[in-house]
Parts: sequence; structure tokens; C-alpha cells
Amino acid sequence: MCGDCGCGDEKVIPVDVHERMLAGNDRDARHNREHFHAQGVIAINLMGSPGAGKTAALEATARALGRDFTLGVLAGDLATDNDAARIRAAGIVAESITTGTACHLDADMVHHGLHHLPWRTLDYLFVENVGNLVCPAVYDLGQDANVVALSVTEGEDKPLKYPTMFRKADLVLLTKVDLLPALEIDVALIEENLARVMLRPAMIKVSSKTGEGIDRWVKWLRGVGKPRGAACATGAGLEG
Amino acid sequence: MHEYSIVQAMFDQIERVAGRHGARAVRRVRVRIGEFAGVDPTLFQSAYEVYRIGTLCGDALLQIEHVPAGDDLILDQVELEVQ
Repeated sequence: MCGDCGCGDEKVIPVDVHERMLAGNDRDARHNREHFHAQGVIAINLMGSPGAGKTAALEATARALGRDFTLGVLAGDLATDNDAARIRAAGIVAESITTGTACHLDADMVHHGLHHLPWRTLDYLFVENVGNLVCPAVYDLGQDANVVALSVTEGEDKPLKYPTMFRKADLVLLTKVDLLPALEIDVALIEENLARVMLRPAMIKVSSKTGEGIDRWVKWLRGVGKPRGAACATGAGLEG
Repeated sequence: MHEYSIVQAMFDQIERVAGRHGARAVRRVRVRIGEFAGVDPTLFQSAYEVYRIGTLCGDALLQIEHVPAGDDLILDQVELEVQ
């Protein structure tokens, strides 16, 4: 264990690294973000469980915002093109990122996905992440905002069970609120739990089916990328 | 199970550092994982055990420092065996 006396023993040296393990992804994400900002594209990372209503929310968004803005979607999907196909049917450009067995999107996958989309012409790019409340939270994609879709059928305690995901969220879309009359779900408790884990609690109740709340979601989207004062004026606090 | 892809990224970092120092093996790997990093330390350890086989880290001990209320996900230090 010595390198000085000539006994031939190897030497062990400590080397400080102090680097984020995802430094490579962070670099790719920064690269995406620079591209988006240079072209004036607002990028939204939409996350949530499988079946939370992410695709339906994007279909409703296409109907509500598609007239005034150019929208595009990159849809992360393990094995199919189904989500992108549904969104294309709603009239906006969409491309799938097929991840195989990978449980999340990373910044490099988004970068490659952009090659198949006329992304420079977009006002808003929605990245529909793989349905999963754990892994996607860890990877920066270059987005301006993280939105988590949480459906009313998922129970009140999801924010407490997946705190990292909700901690990263700039907004929670509480989806499928049209189902509330049929459920025994305490929406106030969901809000309370979100307030315990989100850094800046904000939730909008929506139904992609009836269109309820979609106007407030659209208003929130219009505030993304503007100075914080403007974003606050869209009023997506918890009481509303 | 993103722990596997994170460990893979860490091995790329370790290989770069080891290469710069001309190391023939790694003795110890020190990492810091925050409570809110979104990484399960047990899964991270299992992924490490799988990945290290046949690499410079074959005999390297992994030391995980847990950081309460932090979102750190840091490769802090490696101990390298050099000649």
C-alpha cells in the first residue's frame, strides 16, 4: 500500500469528483433549453401515472389552444404510437418516442425526437412523458415547466407516496373531475397533501371530457415563460 | 428502475476519472444521495453490484452518504489504485 519505498506495492490516491451523476443529461437538457429559448418555443414536460389522462388533456388542449397557437407533442411510449396517433387526430403535430423498456425520457431522447417534428415553428411543445410517477422526475429535459396530471381516481395520498415527483411539479392538473360525483374522494385532502410536498403549490381541476377547467389551464399556459408576476396573475393557487 | 441508467452514467464518469489518472483499479466509490433525489439507495446499491462486475470497480466498495431533505445525486470521490 505504498508508492514511495520501492517495495512495488501499488499506491491508492483519493480523487475528488463532486459531479452530479446526471451531469451528462443536464448538459443535453441545457442544449435543448437553449434551442427552445432561441426559437421562442415554450416546452412543457407533462408527467403522471399510466392512465392519469395525459393524452386526453393534450387532446383538450389542442381543441382549446390550437386555434391561437401552434402546438406540438412528443409522446414517450414504451411500445406503441397510440398516444401520438390520438393527438394527431386532434389536429396537432405529434411524434412518438418509443422507449422500449426505459421507464422515463431523458434529454437526449427528446433531442432526437425533435428531429422528427417541425419544432422550430411551434409556440408550445408538450413532452408527454412515460406514464410513471417515479423515474421521469429525475431527468431534466430542457422544459420551461413541469406539469403532473393526477386523476381523481388515484386516491388522495399520491402526493405523499411520490413526493419527489410532486416536489418537481410547477402545476398539478387534477384530471377526470367529471367522475367526482361517482367517487368518494376528498379533493380538499388532495390539495392539503399537495401543499405538503409542492414547493409552490398550484392545482387546476379539469375534465378533458366536459371541458371544465380547461380555460384555466390554457390561461396558466399563457403565463408560462413570462415574468413570475404574470404567471401568478393566472391564479392557479390551491383555492380555485 | 432508473437507478440502472444512473449507475451507468456514474460508471462513465468513473472511467473518465480513472483514465485521466492512469488507474488500474478503483478501490472505493463515495456518492451522496439526497432524500428527494428520486433515487432509492438500495436499488442504487443493487444496480452497482450488477454493473461493477468485470470493470475497474470489480473490487471497489460503494459508500453512500444519505442527505436528509436534499436532492443531491453526486459522485463525490473515488479512490484509485495507481502504480
